[in-house]
Amino acid sequence: MATRTPGDALAHPIAGSAAKRIPGRGHTRSAVLFLAPFGLLFTAMLLAPIGYAVYQSFFRTHRSGLGLGPSTTVFAGFDNYVTALHDSRFMSSFLRVFTLGIVQVPVMLGLALLLALLLDSRGAVFKKVFRQIYFLPYALPGVIAAIMWSFLYAPSVSPFTAALRHVGLEVNFLSDDLVLASIGNMMTWAWTGFNMLIIYSALQAIPGELTEAAVMDGCSGWRVAWHVKIPAVRPALILTTVFSIIGTAQLFNEPAVLSQVAPTVSPTYTPILATQQSADINNYNYAATQSVILALLTFVLSFGFLKFTQRKGTFA
Amino acid sequence: MLAVGSLVTLSACSGSGDSGGSSSGGKSVTVEFWGAAVGLDKSVALWNKSHPDIKVKYSQIPAGSIGGYAKMQNAVKAGNAPCLGQVGYDTLSNFIATGALEDISQYADAGKDKFVPWTWQMSSVGDRVFGIPVDTGPMAMYYRTDLFKKYKISPPKTWDDFAAAAQKVHSANPSAYLTTTPQDAYDLGALTWQAGGKWFGTANDRWQVTIDNPQTSKVAQYWQGLLDKKLVTSDPMLDTAWFKKVQDGQLLSLVSAVWAAPLISKNLPELSGKWAVAPMPQWSAGQQTAGNRGGSATVVLKGCEHPKEATEFATWMSTDSDSVTNLIKNTGIYPAATSGQQLPAVDQPSKYFGGQNIYDVFKTAAANTSTGWVWGPTMSQVQSDMKDGLKKAGAGQGTIPKTVTSVQDSTVAAMKSQGLSVGK
Repeated sequence: MATRTPGDALAHPIAGSAAKRIPGRGHTRSAVLFLAPFGLLFTAMLLAPIGYAVYQSFFRTHRSGLGLGPSTTVFAGFDNYVTALHDSRFMSSFLRVFTLGIVQVPVMLGLALLLALLLDSRGAVFKKVFRQIYFLPYALPGVIAAIMWSFLYAPSVSPFTAALRHVGLEVNFLSDDLVLASIGNMMTWAWTGFNMLIIYSALQAIPGELTEAAVMDGCSGWRVAWHVKIPAVRPALILTTVFSIIGTAQLFNEPAVLSQVAPTVSPTYTPILATQQSADINNYNYAATQSVILALLTFVLSFGFLKFTQRKGTFA
Repeated sequence: MLAVGSLVTLSACSGSGDSGGSSSGGKSVTVEFWGAAVGLDKSVALWNKSHPDIKVKYSQIPAGSIGGYAKMQNAVKAGNAPCLGQVGYDTLSNFIATGALEDISQYADAGKDKFVPWTWQMSSVGDRVFGIPVDTGPMAMYYRTDLFKKYKISPPKTWDDFAAAAQKVHSANPSAYLTTTPQDAYDLGALTWQAGGKWFGTANDRWQVTIDNPQTSKVAQYWQGLLDKKLVTSDPMLDTAWFKKVQDGQLLSLVSAVWAAPLISKNLPELSGKWAVAPMPQWSAGQQTAGNRGGSATVVLKGCEHPKEATEFATWMSTDSDSVTNLIKNTGIYPAATSGQQLPAVDQPSKYFGGQNIYDVFKTAAANTSTGWVWGPTMSQVQSDMKDGLKKAGAGQGTIPKTVTSVQDSTVAAMKSQGLSVGK
């Protein structure tokens, strides 16, 4: 899941005056000095593994006969990629997270925006308490939360299933039709608060004069929200969307835990699970190929979204 | 003893405490050992007491099919694997095919005569030895005597009787079931083994893959029939939910291997005296054939610096009478060593099983298990695909026979994609 702190992206929710400084020569040296630790770690921990995975994806292990002798590694060109694109299970895992994302991301961010606006409204009481409550699920480790949900969903122990049975409804949250929605619900529960906080911080940064002026012009609460606040937090919304796209594409915790109790959640349910399964059955080159494809698609989707939103009107 | 996807084998008990490496004259070596079965650590402790020069360091890892094998394979790949690992016969070919094992023939051959011949074959390819056999998994039927009495059924002699008993139990009590469906490749493989079918074979340097053979199809259709009539459940055996249902009297029996006995007795102590063991139901009346589920070898993983010492320990663990007695008592193994099968530990009444000498049943089963079964080189994939399909079939998506057919296809495809020769 994307858990990077939003950092600077929020420092200027509204077009700040980015003062242009011209770095001098001394600056360059100290900049390099300060960047070196990051650069080294970034290269060792991110670039090198990515490079290695790409390299691995162009090879395959070849055995012959019974395969009980030593194996050889042969150059495979794009063979692994062709296999992956024809791998129906792998492809349907993409379709699955895509379907999930299209529905879940807007719902979650809409909810986060609504909660943030409510917290930011004049009439809000107990702001601190509510903010904590909304944020609490995010503070729970993802796997622990997933295990908790798996108990809440599992037909034999689920309190929801039992309660619904009382009113004559037979609902199985882990059935083929519902399991994706159940996963979406888990994600929404876990991440709404986190996204709400980012949007709320952006709301806090809106200058008071703006909203006051709007009120003077006779805007009511909702219209202020619609005409002033929401446009002002656009960058924060874009940022949270990009985080969510990245997070959804790499969906792992929820299905991995649910697969223990849900027969419908297969070992290839999401792209990352499918990749892990390939590694588990000793097909490392194919696993590398799958990771590269997943990374590329995630990049294209998140970057595409950024470009798309920047084209539509000025990027505040 | 292997491939039990149960939480029980996950109890993280580390071996004996590390008391500092005492290098006696710089000759002492340390050998690491990864195993999943409960009780191996006690054998290791026995060894360390009597062999100061070769120190064995034991680590408990998850059972093979729930991550243990992947862990070992990854460690080999990363070049930091332990010397010794516990690998089931079913996955040994897989380890050999990925080049994860050392050929230990030169150190192991001396011990060959100490083992039941087919277990030695299971641990080798041709004359190259890759592991030291530990145990086998002769099968029988565990059942609740009190509940069988309550529902007025006797241990079924044939699979037809078994189906009739399932019907009887479920009619008498809609929330009670006789048993659960096969959950994975090892379950279905064991039942196929009993029925006389084979999944893999080799001829002319080619693999034959016959997962969809007539016997497996027969077994698959049989269980699908019970499933269609809702006479069996599809809970994974020997895990938390299964134990709970057994406790509640909702599941009455289990067809499994000898190593299930300590798992049952340790997890359900309050049911002591209410269990018994009967021979597996037969496909035709009057037969005595049994299947084998599990059994494992101690292998020497690639890159081990002390293969000789590692093999020495592995051989000792499987043959020394104190060690084997411990493994019988605490791990519930049926020994692969011929001497082990003569030990008093495999010939005494068990209080938990109402005073029955359950080993009588397992000895007969072992003697009536065919020995020509061969495991294929991509069992990790077979297990993964089979488990997924059977799980779905249990939930009413797809069927067991359809799963068998699709695993046949996916297995052939997986083998061919690695360049293995697959022939008819």
